[in-house]
Order: sequence, then structure tokens, then C-alpha cells
Amino acid sequence: MNIDDLQGLLPLLTLAAGATALMLQIAFARNIKLTSFLAVATLLAATLSIVWAGESAPRFVTPLLRADKLALVFSALFCVAGAVTAILSMDYLNNRGDEPEEYFLLLVLSTLGACVLAYASHLASLLLGLELMSVSLYALIAYPDKTKLPLEAAIKYLVLSGAASATMLFGFALLYATTGTLQFSAMAQQLANIDTGNITLLVASVMIVTGLGFKLSLVPFHMWTPDVYDGAPAPVAGYLASVGKAAVFVVLVRWFIASNLFRFSILIDCIALLAILSMLAGNGLALLQTNIKRMLAYSSVAHMGYLVIILVVGSDLAHRPLAIEAGMYYLIAYTATTIAAFGLLTLLSAGKSQKENIQLHDVSGLFWHQPLYACLMLVALLSLAGIPLTAGFVAKFYLISSAVSDGRWILLGSLAIGSSIGIYYYLRVVFYMTRRVEEHKNIPEAAHGLIEKFMTCTLIASILLLGIVPQSLMEYLRSILQLVN
Amino acid sequence: MSGADTSLWPFVVYFFAVLALVATMLGLSWLLGQHRANAATNVPFESGALSVGSPQIHMAVEFYLIAIFFVIFDLETVFIFAWAVAFFELGWAGFISISIFILLLGVALVYELRSGALDWGIKTRSGAPTSTLTQEAQK
Amino acid sequence: MNSLSLIPALPLVSAVLLMIGSARLSKRVVAIFGVGSVGLSALIVASVAQDFLTTGEVQTATLWAWISVANFTPGIAFYIDGLTVVMMSVITGVGFLIHLYSVEFMESDESFARYFSYMNLFVAAMLLLVMADNLLLLYLGWEGVGVCSYLLVGFWYRDPNNGAAARKAFVVTRIGDTAMALGLFLLFTELGTLQIQPLMAAANVQWSGGGTLPVLATALLLGGAVGKSAQLPLHTWLPDAMAGPTPVSALIHAATMVTAGVYLIARTHELFLLAPATMQAIAWLGVATVLLAAFAALAQNDIKRILAYSTISQIGYMFLALGVGAFSAGIFHLMTHAFFKALLFLGAGAVIHCLHHEHNIFKMGGLRTRLPVVFASFLIGSAALAALPFTSGFYSKDSILLAAWALPDIGPILWAGGLLGALITAIYSFRLVFIVFFGEANTEPDKQVGWKIAVPLMVLCVLAAFGGWIGQPLSEVFPATADFHNVAHSVEYIGIAIPLIGLLIAYLVFLGGQLSVSKLTDSSLGKALQNFWRDGWRLDALYHNLLVRPFTGLARLCRNEPVDIFYNSIVSFLRWSHRGLVSLQTGELRWYATTMVFGLLLLVAIMLRNAS
Repeated sequence: MNIDDLQGLLPLLTLAAGATALMLQIAFARNIKLTSFLAVATLLAATLSIVWAGESAPRFVTPLLRADKLALVFSALFCVAGAVTAILSMDYLNNRGDEPEEYFLLLVLSTLGACVLAYASHLASLLLGLELMSVSLYALIAYPDKTKLPLEAAIKYLVLSGAASATMLFGFALLYATTGTLQFSAMAQQLANIDTGNITLLVASVMIVTGLGFKLSLVPFHMWTPDVYDGAPAPVAGYLASVGKAAVFVVLVRWFIASNLFRFSILIDCIALLAILSMLAGNGLALLQTNIKRMLAYSSVAHMGYLVIILVVGSDLAHRPLAIEAGMYYLIAYTATTIAAFGLLTLLSAGKSQKENIQLHDVSGLFWHQPLYACLMLVALLSLAGIPLTAGFVAKFYLISSAVSDGRWILLGSLAIGSSIGIYYYLRVVFYMTRRVEEHKNIPEAAHGLIEKFMTCTLIASILLLGIVPQSLMEYLRSILQLVN
Repeated sequence: MSGADTSLWPFVVYFFAVLALVATMLGLSWLLGQHRANAATNVPFESGALSVGSPQIHMAVEFYLIAIFFVIFDLETVFIFAWAVAFFELGWAGFISISIFILLLGVALVYELRSGALDWGIKTRSGAPTSTLTQEAQK
Repeated sequence: MNSLSLIPALPLVSAVLLMIGSARLSKRVVAIFGVGSVGLSALIVASVAQDFLTTGEVQTATLWAWISVANFTPGIAFYIDGLTVVMMSVITGVGFLIHLYSVEFMESDESFARYFSYMNLFVAAMLLLVMADNLLLLYLGWEGVGVCSYLLVGFWYRDPNNGAAARKAFVVTRIGDTAMALGLFLLFTELGTLQIQPLMAAANVQWSGGGTLPVLATALLLGGAVGKSAQLPLHTWLPDAMAGPTPVSALIHAATMVTAGVYLIARTHELFLLAPATMQAIAWLGVATVLLAAFAALAQNDIKRILAYSTISQIGYMFLALGVGAFSAGIFHLMTHAFFKALLFLGAGAVIHCLHHEHNIFKMGGLRTRLPVVFASFLIGSAALAALPFTSGFYSKDSILLAAWALPDIGPILWAGGLLGALITAIYSFRLVFIVFFGEANTEPDKQVGWKIAVPLMVLCVLAAFGGWIGQPLSEVFPATADFHNVAHSVEYIGIAIPLIGLLIAYLVFLGGQLSVSKLTDSSLGKALQNFWRDGWRLDALYHNLLVRPFTGLARLCRNEPVDIFYNSIVSFLRWSHRGLVSLQTGELRWYATTMVFGLLLLVAIMLRNAS
């Protein structure tokens, strides 16, 4: 461990130090303003430290963590997403009272876990990051502990997540039994000599895929998603849906690439099956939802289905670079969009009315009394639906073109069917938002601070920029992924 | 497929053996047992003495909290022990690492103390243990 | 980012700002933003044009590549040559004047900011259209102006008629746009690029002249052009589009957007040169439109509808020019037409503005002394429209007719058609002048025009009068046209004389009264003809009977028929599967855990089945 190693780990160290400082601050001087400021400052400092950390990349810091550009890009994404979530939560928590300081501490810890996942190059660090992120999330979900729904959501997530982790650990054990290592690249050397029909290995990998697939809420491991999103506070649901999934997906991709699991075609077929099920069932479930949170939950199931297509496409070495690149871009676009969509729900339920579970009729007429927030939702929904000039379009475009180049027609067919169903339920929200409001209807009171307005504009701008000027980010991703591949 | 067959069949046998055992136990007791429903059929048998009170005793949550803290902190000693065994091999780097580790443990302990996790009484997150008496006094 | 990107960016930014701040900004600020942004763009365009005229170098600017997959790399890139410079100058120059004019015209409208934000957006989209170096970006601008046209035609959306007119404009042009999109797909699949210059180069190499592919591709592009430029048979939306505010008609439906089709053909002229059949079709379409619209204009009573039909007719001349290969003449006429037609529309707007929103020309009259500035501008505008000698319209129309004459075989027929059109143009334009500005006053103007209306009118007067002497830097862009100098002088003299004859007829009929046409118009045939022309040759009714009614009839027929059962069954299948899936979401933890276990078992079973 030398200075360069520490430099590579800088974002993780910053987050950990920030979390410690937050803990001490909460212990001695409880003050919500100070806490939220410290949390946002920590997250932003971690983001900035990535610039410096990049100088020593790429390098292995112990066999557990690999500080390369990919890890740094996604750490930056998670830190920024964490900061945005923290800022959007301020009003929300203020109006719910009851010592909200620990919320920010947990958020920083969860982000730390996500960043560890981005760095992970070893199954042990994968587990560490995953648990650090998830355990913080259990507490975050149950944070408004005065009502039943969040508690129910947290218990469900806790139990099922525990089961998923156990399955995954069993898979690790079997994998260790076959290969004798838990390190990704060392595993690759062992796997290269193993017959593609080796039963222990296949069962092991499928168990790990189950564990991670649970976190990604792939069908049939998706059942928890709507209930947990529904019960969780809106900002936490947004964080869980974006960072919680992106981090897991990054590590999944990294594991697949580093250990070259693409060789095992039957495993790839299984993933294709999960992708098809997720795309069809996710969209089918979302179709007539009137609860927007649940609708977004199902839509995230579908989006994860779209996303794992790239693992299938990546099994062909010729198309792997394009596929992985498309996947990484999709993750970034999806994270921004999801944060924006849940951000609107946060802002709407931030008011004194403490309205949770925004229904379709709650947003009706939003364009007329909250045009800015309605624009945020509009842009987010269009991006989720994949309409041109938004981030979602470019992401889906790359995804589809990589799948086309590999000739995965069944997956593409499901994607097309799923997307076209998706347009219905996304645009339904827009339709409700443009309705004229009846006179006597009470409108949920929304947050109206300057910071919230600023964040809204920033989110809108970033989604549009990702859709209009995607090329520089795309090229950057291409350049860093060449090193990873 | 053949390899899988040979390595799998003990598992299959085991699986069915378990099923058979459980089925036998349940089936036998059903076959041999009496099928009558008297007033005392569902009363637990405690050597003839009737059980008193509800078995669902509400334990104060503090017991669990303290037990959990004990488990956590006790587990952390494993790491310190591992360091102590290799004290000379690890040198200053190890010393610094373990110092940071212990410092973090200390911070966690301080946090728990300050937030009232170790106090007995009704809990709020701010750590101010408000007893039922003071709560009533506030009203 | 260089100054080129600022040209469309300024109006765009201003449009967005006005959209966001519409409720809060004062009218003054709105006007400063709305007019100022276009004005600044115009200044930048002027400097770009200056550079271009001195150096003569084609400028390109690639801002960024939008996406890049395999060989598909559409970029946000600009290509500035002589043609673009001309178009940009017209758009920002005339656009600025119209914006300035609008400040006064719209000052009492409650949606002042909305108006300017749409107008700015339109200017931005139109600039994008003409500056684009690839057809995809051009298409973006193309659709952008379409949307703005829709929004502005239906600007006073509380009147359902305006909404219907806006919808009509949108739907009818959509027919053309679909054809154009198909054309783009075809070009991309065949030639592998959408960048205009490489595309034309590739076409010249890969395609032989007169083959099926070039004809098909250009015909599809022509479809788009016909829709946008309101040519036969898709012209019916333009007269109805007059429902929008008059400056909108001046900017969008006279000076700029409707000429986008002409621009498109001129821009991709090398493709069209490979397809002589399409070229001939363009020429015939042009002449047919000229005549049809001119006769329709003759019978209108609504001042704006006269001008609308006149616009259709004048664009017909441009198409005629393109069809006979005289591209520079077409673009020249585009420019002069932008000047005098904008002038006429703005003049008409001023009349309407001062006469309590009166549109019927027979309720006007005698405005010569009451609105002298407007009278002067109308006079000059009509003179240019009628192509009286030495006005701007004369030079451009003359070169078109000469080019048509010079074409072998069909040339003289086209020329004769154009000439007949010119005669009628002169008649209807001076009919308008004589009825509105001479004779007895029927309505008294309730206000006079202010400087914001007068200045644009005067500037446009100068341009309409002397715009014919503006040289255009188009020689590098288009192939040289045939030499006209050996054309018999008699042909030229006829061209000069015809508008004068038209003027004379108009004078005799509508002002002097020496030539009475009442016998003609009162006869049953004359009346019928007049009504027929007034309704635009009843094409609307024809389309309604020929297309809309069979379509709705078919739709009604199919309402409960097998076709629908198919689609309905998709819907009910989706609903059914949704319900089925949702019923699985019981909310019970153990059921959720069970599904996970079964999912895992399924995967493991697949593995076991396939393990060796």
C-alpha cells in the first residue's frame, strides 16, 4: 500500500472520512442544516477527488479493488447521484421532522458501498460493497418509521435480499470449489481450462446471477420491486432504482468481462431468457398502473431487461466493445432519468401535506400550476420512453444497434414489443399532466425552494444534453473501455 | 448428461429419503394418534400442570440492542487479534491500519453512547431518553 | 463554437427564455429579446455574408457528431455556400423586419411572449434547415418549421376554426413529409450517407442519369417539397393557414417556410439533374400551380386569401425555374418574392390592423389618402408582384420565363403558361390595389400606423423596388444555365408587355369602369366560374369527397370488422396479461420468496439439462 494506491482509492477514502465526520457531528451537535451540508459536501468532494484519483489509474489496489477509469467514472456518477438525492431530500425530510440527520449518514454510506462495487475486482469486495449498500438501504427505506408501509417495504427487502445474498454466497462457495480463487482475473485463468459444460461451475454462476438478478429486479426475481418502491420514501426509491441498480450492473459486467464468462453459452442463454421475461413482464405489469411509483418500479424491471441484453450481445467478441459501451451509456442515461422521475415525486410529496404514493390523478393538471416540475417529469418520461433528443433515445439507439449488429432478433423483438407498450404508460402520465384542473381539487403542495428549482433545471439540462451531445461522453467511455476489455 | 447422472443420483436418493422420512413421521403419528377433539386436546402438556399466562412475553428492546452491540464489537476483536498475532510482520503500516480501525470503532461507540442507544428507556433518534413521566409532564 | 453556431442559437435561446419567462417578463423585455435575438443573428449573417462575398470560400463548421454507429454518423454541422448565404440573409433580414413589425401589430395581444417565442423558434428552425450540411439535420429543421407553423396558424386557438386550419396545415404537409422521409431512407440505404455534398458526389458516381433509382428518390424528395411549398396537389392548406396573425403569414407563409421546398430541390439539384423525368414533372407542376392559383386569386374577396393564392402561384414560378434547370433564377425569384410578398402581407396586415380586423376588400376602399405609407408600400409591392419593368419581380420572373423559353421541345409551352400566369397576376394584384385604395371609403381607419410598422414597410419597399439589382453569389453552386442572349428580342418584349397589359385591364375593369365585365360575371357561367375559382377550384371539396370521405367511410366500415378485431385483441390481450401478472403481485413475502426459489430452480434445471 503506497501513496499511489491511496490516491487511487481517494473517492472511497473521502466518503469514509465524510461518513465518520458525519457520525461525530450527529453525536455531538445535532443540526439538520449542518448535516445535510456536510453530506452534500462529502459527496461532492468525493466527486472532485476522482479527478486526482484518475492520475494513478489504472492499478490494482490490493487484489480486492481495481482503480481504473471505469470504476472512477461510475464512482463519480454515484456520488453525483447521491448528492442530487441528498439535495432533493432536504425539504422532504424537513417537513417530516423527527431527527432526519442519520438519513444523510446512511446515504453517504450507501454511496460508499456503490463505489466499492464499481471498484470491485474480487468476489469478496463485491459482497462487501453490496452489503454495505444494501444494509444502508434497508434503514433508509424504513426511515419514516411512523407509518406501516415503509416498515413493511424494508422488512420485505431485508428478508428477500438476505435470501438473495445467501444464494449468491452459495454460488461463491461453489465457484471457489471449482476454481480455487475469488479474484476475477485469476478466475479467468482457471475458467479457461474448464469445460463449458462443467456442472458445478454452471450452477454456481447461475446462483450468483440469481443473487445479482434480485438486486437488478430481473423477472422472476422482481416481485419485491413495486412493494419496496411504493413503501420507501420517494428520494430513497429513486436512489435505490438508479444507483442501487447501476452499481450492481457495473460489477456484473466487470465480472463477466474479467472472468470471461461469455464462453459459457448456456449461461448466456439463461440471461437472455431473464432479459426477455423482464422486458415483457415488466412492461406488462406497468401497463395500467395508476400509482406512479409502482409504475416506475415496473418500468425499471423492463429497463433492466433491456440492459442485460448487452451481456448477451457481448458474448460475441466482435461486438463486445460496442455492447459494453452501449450498456455503460445506458446506465448513465438511466440513472439520470430515474433520479429525475423520482425527483419529481420527491418534490411533490415534499410539501406539508406529506402526501406519499403519488397517483395519476395527483399529477393531473401539473403543467398548469407547476410548469417547471411538469417539464422535469415530461423530459424524464420521454427519456424513459426513448423519444429522440433525450438521453434515453441515444441509449436505446446504441443498445439496439449493438443487438442488431449481433443479430439477436428474439431479444430485439421483445425489446420492440416492450418499448411500444412502454410508450402507452409513460405518455399516459403526460396526458394526465396536461389536463385542465377542476376548480375544487386540492393539489399536492410541492416544494418551492430555489435549490429545488435549480436542481430541476440541472436535471432537465443533463438529460437533454445527454440526448443532444452524447458523442463526447460516448467517446470517453469507448476509450476507457478499451483498457478494460 | 451421463456424468451429471452419476454424480447426481445420491442427491436424488437423499432428497427422496428426506421426503419419505418426514412423510413417515407425520403419517405414522396421524395413523396411530387419536382423532378426538376434547376440551383439553389443544392444551400443551406440561406434566399435568396447566400453563399460566401468555408465552408472548414482551422483552424490552434494549436487551436485543445490547446483545447486538456485543456481537458486533466482539466480532471486531477478531481483526485486532489477527493483527496482534502478526504484529512484527506488519510493522508500522499494520499499526496505522489497526489504529484507524480502532478509531472507527471508538467513533461508533461514541455515536451509540451519544444517541442513547445504550440508555434504558423510550428511544428517540436524538438520544434524549424521554421517560414516560417526563413525556406526561410535557403534556 | 464559432459565430456560425450563434446564428440559429440566438433565436433558439431567446425562444426558450421567452417560453420559461412568459408569465413574468414585461412586454418591453419580451420585445427586446424577440426582436433583438433575430437582429443580432441578422448582423452575424451580414458579417458571414461579407466574408463569403470577399473570399468566396465555402465554410463548414462541425459542432459535434450526434451519434456515431458504424457508418451512420449524423452530425450537427453547417455548410455555408452561396445558396445558404442568400437564404440566411433572407430569413434573418426579412425575419428581423417582420419581428419589429410584430411588436406593434401584436402589442395588445395577451399572449405577446408566446407569440415571440414561437416566432423565434421558427427562425431558429428555419436557419437550421438552410444551414444543415446533412439531410437529417435539415429534416429536423424541416419538422421544426412545420411545428412552428402549426403553432402559429393556430395561435388564436380559442376559435375552433383556427385550430382546424392549423391541423389541416400540419396534416397536409405531413403527407409530403412522409414521402420525404422515405426519400431519405432510400438515399441512405442506397448511397450510405446523408451528408449532402458527399451524397451528391456518390450519386453522380453510382447512379446513371435517368435510371429508376434517381427518379424514385427525387420524386420522394419532390413530394416533401410539394407539401411544404404548397404546390399542386398539396397546396390546399396554405389559404386556410391565413388564420394566423398576419406577420406570421408574411414570415412563414410567404417569405421563408413555404420556400423550403424550393431550397431543398436547389440544395440537392445534382440528384435532380440525374432524373430528367422528375425535372420535367417539376416544371409542369410549377406551371399548373401558377395558373391554377392565379385564377383562384382573381376571384377571392379576402385580402389575405388573395395574397395566399398569389404566394402559391409565385412559388409555382420558382418550381418552373427549378424544373427547367434555371436554379439560380429560381432562388433569385425566391429572394425577390420574399421581399415583395412580405411587403404585401405586412401592408395587408397594416390595413387589417387599422380597419378593425376587416378582411373583405369590398368593405375597404379609398385608403390611398388615409393610409399613405401603406398605400405606397402596396403599390410598390403589387408592381413587383406583377413584374412591372424595373421592379425586382420583373428581373427574376423575366429570367425564369426566358429560361423556360430556352428549353427545347416543351419550352415554349411552359413559357406561354408562365406568361398567361403573369397576365393574370398583374390583373389580380392591381384589382387588389384599386379596390382597396381607390374608390369610395367604406370603413374609416381607427388608427394610424406607428414607426415600428412604417419602418419595416419602407425598408421592404426599397428592397422590393430595387432588389432586382442585388447580385447573388450562386455561380459556384449551380451549373451554368443556357445562354439567353440569343433569344429573340420579341420574346423579351412580350415578357415586358404582358404585365403592362394586365395592369391596363385591371385599370379599365376595376377603376375606370370603361371595360365592364358585369355581363360576363353576371352570366350563370361566369358566376359559376367565379365561385368555382373562389373556392380554389373546389379542390378542397374534391379531396374531401375523394379522400377524406372514402377514408372515414372505410374506417366506419371497419369499425366492427375483422381488421379491428385484430387490434382490439392485441389490446385486450395486453390488458388480460397485465391483470394476470398483477394478480401475482400479492404483497405476500412468502409468495415472493417462493417465486424466487422457483426461478432459481428453473435456471438450475436448465443448467443441469445442458451440463455435460
